[in-house]
Amino acid sequence: MRAYVPDFDITVPDRLDDALKMLAEKPGFYRPLAGGTDLMVVFNAGHQIYKNFLSLHKFQELHGIHVTDEEVEIRALATYTDLRYHPILKAEFPMLCQAAAESGAGAIQNRGTIGGNIGNGSPAADTPPALAAYGAEIDLISKDGVRSLPFRNFQTGYKQMDLRPEELIRGVRLKRKSGRLHSYRKVGTRKAQAISKVCFAATVRLESGKIVEAGIAYGSVAPTVGCCEKLEQKLVGLSLAEASKLDPMEVKKLAGESISPIDDIRSSGEYRLKVAKNLAADFVSNLENLNV
Amino acid sequence: MGKYIGKEFSRVDGVAKVTGAAPYAAEFHVPGTAHGYLVMSRIAKGTITKIDTAAAEKSPGVVRVFTHKNTPKFAHPEKYKSFKALQSPEIVFNAQPIAVVVAETFEEARAAANLVEATYRREDPSTDFFGRVEEAEQAPDSPFSGKSVQTTGDAEQAMSSAEITFEAEYTIPAEHHNPMEPHAAVAYWKNGKLKIFDKSQDVYTVRSNLAAALGVPEDDVHVVSPYVGGAFGCSIRTNYYPFLTAMMARELKRPVKLVYTRRQMFTGHGYRPFTHQKIQLGAKKTGELISIIHEAANNTSTVEKWNDSTTRFTRHIYACPNMKTIQRLVKTDLPTPCAMRAPGAVSGMFALESALDELSYKLDMDPLELRLKNYAEVDPANGKPYSTKALRECYRRGAEKFGWDKRQPIPRSMREGNELIGYGMSTGIWYAFQQPATVKVVLKADGTAQLTSATSDIGPGTYTVMTIIAAEYLGIAPEKISFGLGDTQMPKAPVQGGSWTTASVGSAVHGAAMKLKSRLLSLAQKDKDSPLQGLGPDEVVLLDGRLQNRKQTSNGVSIVGILKAEGMDSMTEVHKETPSKIREDYQLLAHGAQFVEVRVDEQLGMVRVSRAVEATACGKIMNPKTSHSQEMGGVVWGIGMALTEHTEVDDRFGRIMNPSLADYHVPCCADVRKVDTDFIEEDDRVVNPLGVKGMGELGMVGIPAAISNAVYHATGKRIRHLPMTPDKVLKA
Repeated sequence: MRAYVPDFDITVPDRLDDALKMLAEKPGFYRPLAGGTDLMVVFNAGHQIYKNFLSLHKFQELHGIHVTDEEVEIRALATYTDLRYHPILKAEFPMLCQAAAESGAGAIQNRGTIGGNIGNGSPAADTPPALAAYGAEIDLISKDGVRSLPFRNFQTGYKQMDLRPEELIRGVRLKRKSGRLHSYRKVGTRKAQAISKVCFAATVRLESGKIVEAGIAYGSVAPTVGCCEKLEQKLVGLSLAEASKLDPMEVKKLAGESISPIDDIRSSGEYRLKVAKNLAADFVSNLENLNV
Repeated sequence: MGKYIGKEFSRVDGVAKVTGAAPYAAEFHVPGTAHGYLVMSRIAKGTITKIDTAAAEKSPGVVRVFTHKNTPKFAHPEKYKSFKALQSPEIVFNAQPIAVVVAETFEEARAAANLVEATYRREDPSTDFFGRVEEAEQAPDSPFSGKSVQTTGDAEQAMSSAEITFEAEYTIPAEHHNPMEPHAAVAYWKNGKLKIFDKSQDVYTVRSNLAAALGVPEDDVHVVSPYVGGAFGCSIRTNYYPFLTAMMARELKRPVKLVYTRRQMFTGHGYRPFTHQKIQLGAKKTGELISIIHEAANNTSTVEKWNDSTTRFTRHIYACPNMKTIQRLVKTDLPTPCAMRAPGAVSGMFALESALDELSYKLDMDPLELRLKNYAEVDPANGKPYSTKALRECYRRGAEKFGWDKRQPIPRSMREGNELIGYGMSTGIWYAFQQPATVKVVLKADGTAQLTSATSDIGPGTYTVMTIIAAEYLGIAPEKISFGLGDTQMPKAPVQGGSWTTASVGSAVHGAAMKLKSRLLSLAQKDKDSPLQGLGPDEVVLLDGRLQNRKQTSNGVSIVGILKAEGMDSMTEVHKETPSKIREDYQLLAHGAQFVEVRVDEQLGMVRVSRAVEATACGKIMNPKTSHSQEMGGVVWGIGMALTEHTEVDDRFGRIMNPSLADYHVPCCADVRKVDTDFIEEDDRVVNPLGVKGMGELGMVGIPAAISNAVYHATGKRIRHLPMTPDKVLKA
């Protein structure tokens, strides 16, 4: 608890355009501040290296969850509480609701935002695996306009991401499609308020009884949120019955190839690897039991 | 059940607590207060060679920076054996205070604290307790658990001749109390006298320690601690911060406040020590124990020798003719451990009750049957009868409520989906202590009563239970009674610890009421026409504001009437209650039985305690509501100790790695499912006039072992090293 409040400045622009101009004029000078639930922890610990914060709160463009026939767009300042109780998300993208419900306590869920969860870049964050599994697109905004890319390409390394200093995260978009099955599991030391040891988000989408899309992603087991592309490819084209009969050892092998867990204070690399493989094998072998 | 005793009472201080009206130590606002902020060492062992405070002193708002160079020395250092802050350049543990920055505001003090620079001559610390168990030395004897080596019969000889033997080693890591309220003090001096608001379980000891350190008479030190937001043992010792706060206030001639941060809480007081235990059991094939050898070692600091009394109950629980217990210590470059809820007992019973469970499988015998087979009817160590012991009934009631008969004996034989289900049980035990305590009662002519005693209420409901006892024996409604505590201007009470407060202070309240009753009777009998003429004190009772004939309750006089007839505004009684001699003829213990169901996710290694049933026999239950809360709290803590709690030390630096509530995991609400607590009441006329035993510590004693035993039953894997984290469960 060493940070000294007067050492820090916060700017609260009224308009997003003004903020984007400020970011372009002084790249890297401002640290965007949304819910602050990560930044304040570092601040309290006395390790906050950023001194100038840019509050995003007044920008209506960054608030809300917008639903069209084709997609759901979650803007950056949507809180965990917003996600957790949103009826369309609960019906169609339940892994996001579950991830939000299992992040922190009620107070954190009321403050913390999905934009912050993404922008903080932690490999242990709980919503990114769900976003990656659902094949979300991320929208980045700067004074030059909006740039979109697949969410699973957004993280480039430990706390590194494809985000330019002049850009803000505007939001993420999820394609609404029928026929999805979902399995989200967070493994933490306790049932709530624990940072993940392993986080697993997996979904397949069925058309005419065959898997046409698969998304399988992990948190906390690699420097970035990672997708098991080989396993995803393996599942596409199979019926649920065929998929559930895949050799569990092969599933585990494919799952293990995409991750590189380490030992840290929350768990051992050995445990994480074993559990990550078990979760994948369990998901695949139980596909027939999952509800659409 | 009395009129009030034994009935459900909500906490009398509950509304004040939830509305913020109850002030905790840091919330006493004294005008002109300066704020201290601690600077902690970055090494665990060595000497400060240079400490540069110049930049901090120039920082805005800073009043003074205290280091070992400008801090006055203790007037009588020999009277306080524990760690003393800023008394020398020597570093004896990591995150030891090396300076306090005092400033006009907390934020200014905190900012300047960052500017204090220390240079050290660093030595390699030694904190790897488990790597050094072989070096352990014999512990000093303990005032509560006696000699560090104790024997009954010839345990080694009996072990070598036993038909069945079992031997295993068990370990427990350091654990911290983590009360919600951080330790804090606010101190000021006026006319050479100190007043200090402190978070304490023992205001009188704080007073004597401060007086000795500051070189002033005890009467010149006034310690106030009306509310404590949890302590669990970590505010029994006078920690270093009240000394610093009082000293700084005297030097600066103004009030000073010092509050620990959560991080500082991890080295600002003690902790449950690292513990290594080896248990050897010898038994007949039919299950009768013939020998128990229990060797335990715990870590201590280099400053003093903390004996955690891990083996304290081993010789008092099973009818075994040959027993030996040994307690050893290993010095480490860590702070001194201290009492933490059920000190020694929960650690020792984790090992003993796990070992007994292991023996039951070796004997192919139900674990409960094995315990009943070795049920002690008299204390096996000294042959004394138990004053009361309803443990057999606890086993029976607990097993019945839990459905122990549905247990399938073979491990891994109960399953639901991915979850393996296991049943485990254990035994809990604690003392029925009583200490001398004094209470002052002022009975007023307006029909109210004010009671005071310098005990503490760290959460068990002391304010409430004393009010109930006073209401019962003074015959006054609870809402007309006030009970004050936590103040050295009140009569002396023992430290709130050892689960002895109700037995000690409550008995003093009872004793005072009995004296007042006699005095009121004498006054009433001055009236020749009194309906109470000819009756002795035992034949009358105080009830509903009247002194009345116990048998003919219509014959009586009002208390207020007696006082008014004498022209008295009030009647005061100061009564000291001491433990009775008869206690020495008995073994005085409280017991309990614990049954738990766990569900183990086979793929994740996650253990969930899905059900816990705890049946407890601890004498009379004064207030079932707060008593159940106590026992449920014990179960929850037992879950934490079994599954998550672990203070992790980086032995390279001797530094605690997880000093926060985010990284030190106590159970959250979602981890606690069904907890059923039940009491088997005992009618104990020996322990004290109220018939109460302790329950605060008892509630958690058997839980970690019961969970470990259930994990074995679920998985077939025995985990002897707490906490049973998923990686251990999956790997085992």
